[in-house]
Amino acid sequence: MDQFNENDIGKLLRLKRYEQPPPGYFDDFLHEFHRRQRAELLRQPAWRVWMERAQSFMTELSVPALSSTRMAAAAVLVCAAVLSLKVYQAPENLDLASATVAIHEPRLVAAGSDRPEGVWSLSTPVEARALDLSPFDAMNRRTQTHRHAAPPRYVLDSTPVSYEPASFRF
Amino acid sequence: MDQPRTDEDRQLVARTQEGDVAAFDQLVVKYSPRLYGLVYNMTSNHEDTNDLLQDVFSKAYKSIRGFRGKSSFYTWIHSIAVNMTLNFLKKRGRRFNLSLDDVDASVQNDKEFLELTQTSSPVREADLSELQVRLNEAMMKLSDEHRAVVTMFHIQGMPHAEISKILRVSEGTVRSRLFYANRQLQNYLEEFRKNPVS
Repeated sequence: MDQFNENDIGKLLRLKRYEQPPPGYFDDFLHEFHRRQRAELLRQPAWRVWMERAQSFMTELSVPALSSTRMAAAAVLVCAAVLSLKVYQAPENLDLASATVAIHEPRLVAAGSDRPEGVWSLSTPVEARALDLSPFDAMNRRTQTHRHAAPPRYVLDSTPVSYEPASFRF
Repeated sequence: MDQPRTDEDRQLVARTQEGDVAAFDQLVVKYSPRLYGLVYNMTSNHEDTNDLLQDVFSKAYKSIRGFRGKSSFYTWIHSIAVNMTLNFLKKRGRRFNLSLDDVDASVQNDKEFLELTQTSSPVREADLSELQVRLNEAMMKLSDEHRAVVTMFHIQGMPHAEISKILRVSEGTVRSRLFYANRQLQNYLEEFRKNPVS
């Protein structure tokens, strides 16, 4: 009795090509593929959809450096960092007007602020930092501005000096 | 087996990379029957094959922008299919539902079928349909890697060189796996012929 040889095995295995899916399967396969693609797109988080669109946009713009995932991710991170810095500054910028005044009228602002004068932080308005005033300059400025624009000072439990002409002696 | 028309594939890939979805559809239509055979003979299950094949094309579509054409699209898509199927089989383990029972009636007219049933005595002695069932069982007894090689070489008719590119192993490894797998299949079928009821 002969034995199965390699050739027989090969021929038998080749007959397995006739094992086919049901008729019409390949006609429906593409429709099923499209349906699954759409379903998957709906399941994706918004950031991923946005990321893919950004990538394809970059590719269309022929910016190959940004069309790779890593570079796109790096670009997004940089943008996010810049935006977060701006957002962090935003509450301080609400006081932009008073901050601008603070340059000219530091005492007015100092009354409502805990930050010591001359100490700058990232949230300090840029125009204030740009002046780079020395403490002495600031002091002089303060006294000058007090003279010109500050409201009159009163001494409590006493009569204002300026309104006591009888007290002047020459 | 037909040699893949690489120029046509290259054009379709380029169009897909430019955002032409219809071009990828053409690649799906072209490769789904071929890949179906590959995945189906590795999993032995229609439902698993269907799901896997959908996932293969989905992954290919997502990754096609990164396809630089170092290999042909044919090799690339087959690599994705084989790797995904091997991963799936590792997760599935040994439990499977054999559904290899849909031998097309046109097999009766196949030249090799006629040759087998008329000239080869061991095959002629056994009931061919029963032999096919036993062969499928024998295939499932092979390791996933050996079954992949047998499927690509014997069923899909790929040359050793192409299989080695797809699996990213040497041609020697492909030949060695094939030799071992053939021996295993021969032994199993001999056992069946000697003890048909077992």
